Amino acid sequence: MITLTDTQTIDVPVQSGEEDRYHLKMGPQHPATHGVLRVDLDLDGETILTCDPKVGYLHRGFEKLAEHRTYAQNIVLTDRLDYIAAMSNNVGYCEAVERLLAIEVPERARMLRVMVCEMSRISSHLLWLATHALDIGAMTVFLYCFREREVLLELFAELCGARLTTTYTRLGGVRQDVTRSIMKKLDKFVEDFPACIEEYETLIDTNRIWLKRTIGIGQVSAEKALDLCLTGASLRGSGVDYDIRKHMPYAGYEKFEFDIPVGETGDTYARYRCRMEELRQSNFILRQCIDMLPPGPVLGKDAPDLVMPIRAANKLEVDVPAKNALITLIEDRDVFMEGDIYVATEVPKGELGFYFISDGMGRPYRMHIRSPSFIHIGALSTMAQGAMIADLIAIIGTLDVVLGECDR
Amino acid sequence: MKVHYKPKRNLLETIFQVEILQGMALTLRKLFSPAITRQYPQEKPPMFPGFRGQHALVRDSLTRDSKCVACMRCATVCPSRCIQISYDEDETHKRIINKYTIEVLRCVFCGYCVEVCPVGAITMTELFEYATYDRDTVFFDKEALLDNWDAFIAKTGKDPAYVNPLMRPRGIFESSLPAAKRLKVPEDWTIEGQYVGPKARPSMVGLPTPHTEKANG
Ligand code: SF4
Ligand code: SF4
Repeated sequence: MITLTDTQTIDVPVQSGEEDRYHLKMGPQHPATHGVLRVDLDLDGETILTCDPKVGYLHRGFEKLAEHRTYAQNIVLTDRLDYIAAMSNNVGYCEAVERLLAIEVPERARMLRVMVCEMSRISSHLLWLATHALDIGAMTVFLYCFREREVLLELFAELCGARLTTTYTRLGGVRQDVTRSIMKKLDKFVEDFPACIEEYETLIDTNRIWLKRTIGIGQVSAEKALDLCLTGASLRGSGVDYDIRKHMPYAGYEKFEFDIPVGETGDTYARYRCRMEELRQSNFILRQCIDMLPPGPVLGKDAPDLVMPIRAANKLEVDVPAKNALITLIEDRDVFMEGDIYVATEVPKGELGFYFISDGMGRPYRMHIRSPSFIHIGALSTMAQGAMIADLIAIIGTLDVVLGECDR
Repeated sequence: MKVHYKPKRNLLETIFQVEILQGMALTLRKLFSPAITRQYPQEKPPMFPGFRGQHALVRDSLTRDSKCVACMRCATVCPSRCIQISYDEDETHKRIINKYTIEVLRCVFCGYCVEVCPVGAITMTELFEYATYDRDTVFFDKEALLDNWDAFIAKTGKDPAYVNPLMRPRGIFESSLPAAKRLKVPEDWTIEGQYVGPKARPSMVGLPTPHTEKANG
């Protein structure tokens, strides 16, 4: 055993030519890595030579767990992917399964889905702005963002009974209708929110420290961004006009008027501006939801019961007792399609895709999640190369990663 | 839509640090506006019916026992498989529960068990502060769950016949509910009394409802 006294030192063998290199393991407990991301850095002074993100600290095996649960039970797992915008994940999952099982969703439920998606987009972008600004050193914005986020989370609690793990959608609709009091509170929020965005912008939009820390940092060209498979605001900041809500509408987004903010320079500031504009656009969509919410039920005619069988009814003769047949709310139906499907939706972070292989049973044979955070972390090493170590914090922040979704 | 921004300052703005002064003015203004923080342990957050908190078995006012009929639907639907039920059948094939436990430490609070129960026997209360130092106290058996219900009623002063939106989801047709759950609920939980946007177009509606019938004459 080696014991060290004050005077002793240990000589670490260093390869010749690498004497100036400094190896630093940042994270996984570092507060600026937004969860449990570890980044292995090779530094020359303060310049990053290589940057190697290590993920997996929050791995819970959702893709495997999903193979042992019915489609309805898996909605619960999707809350825990991107826990900041759980509603968007719920909607993405249900859109995919509904297309796989050919379930129709009533108009009102579709519009409610758009509404909760945009609410969660706002709350996710607010948390992004809060933590990104805090990392860079602007404490006040952090507090102001949480003020508005709290309103939205309380609305979620009133709507579905939980603030973060919402489990709001159901196959064939949503679980709860809105009430008058929710809509009144949402109306007030939509009324007040543009003034709040101006407050954040007053604080940081032209602040010289903010500009110094964001302009020209983490710059990616449009081609490079496409090569790195960036999606969401991280891609749009580079000037690529791509948003699934516009280009492959789902849940009835084609009925809404909204613009896709696109940046030019592809640096951290451009992405910041894009997300701020998205806040305004989401607010505008919420306004349209409040005005146009159609009447009707929130659960479709052929929505499956929550207690789904693990075998389809048409394979009943094998060994499943009849009471376990797929009971829909109104009529019995016995379809579990075979085949595979990939459905992508636009969540606050980017493109969230669900890929299912179904073998005709009541649970997925394979469920793969294409999570934007995982892909964005893959882009980190390219974007951080040659940057200063302090800028790495800004780059992690601007990519808007959530480790729960990355490691899943 | 291209985002517009002008991160350049003119000379005057640079010298006088206008943007920093603007920010300071904003924070100074906020100093005099009412505080929005909530002093949590003393001041409770607002709770809404249908909050997914502590589990409870509803105590039936007549039998003083649970309403559960041991249909096993909650145990089947539970995604984390934390409900354990075992029962015996008497001569009339009535099921008699001998064990009903919920392992709360494994529960994910999805509320599925409440939603699928055909008789409204299990519910989730609005209590959420029950952290302990001891695993056994959060491993609820039938008695503990019934006690949870009593404690909830005593604490909040609610009517024991109260329904929450987890037991009877808002916005679905009454006919799709099991008979025991067709309870009296506030008006805007039903399809007839629901909120409708002032500019909703009748053509967007898929299914006939009183609203469309009115709109179509
Ligand atoms: S709330 Fe969900 S996880 Fe908890 S006991 Fe009920 S069904 Fe199971
Ligand atoms: S679903 Fe309700 S009645 Fe059936 S076993 Fe569970 S608590 Fe009892």
